[in-house]
Amino acid sequence: MSIKKPVEHIAKATPPSIARRVRGLSDRAIAWLFVGPSIVLLLAVNIFPLIWTINLSFTNFKANRLRDAEYIGLRNYERILTDADTWQSMQATAHFLFWTIFFQVLIGFALAYLINKKFKGNDLWTTIIVLPMMLSPAVVGNFWTFLYQPQIGLFNYVVQFFTGVEASSFSMIGSVTLAPWAIVIVDTWMWTPFVMLICLAGLRSIPDSIYEAAECDRASKWRQFWTLTVPMVLPFLMLAVLFRGIENFKMFDLVVQLTGGGPGSTTLLTSIDLKREAFEKWRTGYASAYAVILFVTVFGLASIYVKALNKVKER
Amino acid sequence: MSGFSVTEPSKRQKWFAGLLVITYAVVTLLPLLWIIATGFKSPADSISYPPKVLFEPTLEGYVNLFSTRTRITPSMRETLVEPTTWYEQIARDSGTVIAGPSRYGQRFLNSVIIGFGSTFLSIFFGTLAAYAFSRFKVPIKEDLLFFILSTRMMPPIAVAIPIFLMFRQLGLNDTQLGMILLYTAVNLSLSVWLLKGFIDEIPLEYEEAALIDGYTRFQAFYKVVLPQAATGIASTAIFCLIFAWNEYAFAVLLTSGTAQTAPPFIPTIIGIGGQDWPAVAAGATIFLIPVMIFTILLRKHLLSGITFGAVRK
Amino acid sequence: MRGFIKGLLRRRRGAWEMLATILIALGVFMLMQPFWMVAFTYSFVVTLTGTVMFIIVSHFPE
Repeated sequence: MSIKKPVEHIAKATPPSIARRVRGLSDRAIAWLFVGPSIVLLLAVNIFPLIWTINLSFTNFKANRLRDAEYIGLRNYERILTDADTWQSMQATAHFLFWTIFFQVLIGFALAYLINKKFKGNDLWTTIIVLPMMLSPAVVGNFWTFLYQPQIGLFNYVVQFFTGVEASSFSMIGSVTLAPWAIVIVDTWMWTPFVMLICLAGLRSIPDSIYEAAECDRASKWRQFWTLTVPMVLPFLMLAVLFRGIENFKMFDLVVQLTGGGPGSTTLLTSIDLKREAFEKWRTGYASAYAVILFVTVFGLASIYVKALNKVKER
Repeated sequence: MSGFSVTEPSKRQKWFAGLLVITYAVVTLLPLLWIIATGFKSPADSISYPPKVLFEPTLEGYVNLFSTRTRITPSMRETLVEPTTWYEQIARDSGTVIAGPSRYGQRFLNSVIIGFGSTFLSIFFGTLAAYAFSRFKVPIKEDLLFFILSTRMMPPIAVAIPIFLMFRQLGLNDTQLGMILLYTAVNLSLSVWLLKGFIDEIPLEYEEAALIDGYTRFQAFYKVVLPQAATGIASTAIFCLIFAWNEYAFAVLLTSGTAQTAPPFIPTIIGIGGQDWPAVAAGATIFLIPVMIFTILLRKHLLSGITFGAVRK
Repeated sequence: MRGFIKGLLRRRRGAWEMLATILIALGVFMLMQPFWMVAFTYSFVVTLTGTVMFIIVSHFPE
């Protein structure tokens, strides 16, 4: 590929006499000059703090006290990983993660499949469907608490209209059993378009000739769907699932505005739990260890994600 | 395509697919329409049961959003002079007088300054880095690119702990400069990855021709590559802007007053006796509409934007 | 399966990456499963091992 090794390419394409006329800095110097500022900024805002966090995670530092921190070894990690409440918030996260991905894949794929039927005006409707995804989760989440109000809220009213369940008889964000589903509904509403867009790209990458060949072999539509469409879209779907997985593993803004972690700790996702430890209880050392655990998990998932990305790129 | 093609869906299939998709679109649009509608309701209409679809529009929500008010008794009202402006009239009709402007305007302005400032910086640095990654042999290129991407994936709350301590030391807490730098760093990953994709697509031949004509590398970069990448740069900029505009976690932890942006502020809007939903909805409407317009403008590039340039078309 | 083990022995990147991916996935599952507290406790070690392994083996030759 010519793009990979442009330097040699140019060297080859340029006769020696002309190459001498290429003045200015050497390519290598320009490369560093161009990449440098970004790397420096990222080092200052990401890597330096990361190292600081790892260092703090071995101490009992509290950011609201002046007292010097003491090193306490792995005690913070030990405490977090044997804490039943932390485990509980991981499970709340797991519930959120599993069901949001389940519904988003189901609805997102179905929508993409339908849009790919190329009915008239599908571009316009795709754009409309995508809108929620681009909006501020905090602002929208805050407004959803209004839609979820038992009597005056639109959501409860719509539920009553279709199912006949009295609108004032249930509160989506006030009830222990319903609150975990309330956040799943809003996240699904917001992010289904994301899965849909990626699935649509997958569907559109399948050449028509494959279906024509299958038709010649007299494969049924149902069989074509499972043996052609699904396997071809799968790498794209993996990408969407991993990305949503990472995003929802660290979910904060939407849920903190919707439920604030309550009622009780039924929707206390890890990021909200971490925020309480770090910025309300000010157990900075403990919270740093917590943060390192989340970092490593996300970093691991991100490396799988990049692998999946490259697989899709090859297509 | 001919009518006999096996891959072209039949008319009935198309009609059915269209019906389902449009139904979904309408349902998904409902909460957004409700936000816009609530902004024009009176407080009483906004909390009526059952929810009102038809109502008499009023600008009370918008007046409440931009002002602070004090309640007056009817007897006091007699002693006041008649209001001179339409917004004073609206406030008076609901039994209050305007005491001064609210903080919404200033918070909105913060969002604009921080959004545009960080977008400009991340596009500036991002374009340079993307060009270098696309055209030159950079040592450990793959690792650097992965490192840049992974910074985007980190949980904001976890990053915020050391950033908070660092900003406190440097006096950057609750300053616009601090937020601009932070958002620039977060957006760099997006701008580098997206722009690298766009620059990769520009044929090398253009630059080669320019180099042969006696341009230096720099000249070739800004006279040949930049104009070619203009659309890509514009759409990347909009993505960066939308991110900075919507961001909440860093904003709520690192700003509290002077540099606070709109997302942490809007949920704190409260009226007299509970949350003032028309004012919240008005604030949300003003805040969300620009993003909706940008989304429509961006629709061709949405896919590459949300996948860091990996999936195109 | 035999090919996979052979790949590991020969320092083939694909096989090692697969192993690291499995470890990371297992670690994440252990972290969030609701069944067994001990698995939760050791999840971090597993994820960390997988992640570090991934970083190392991604530099192996194809």
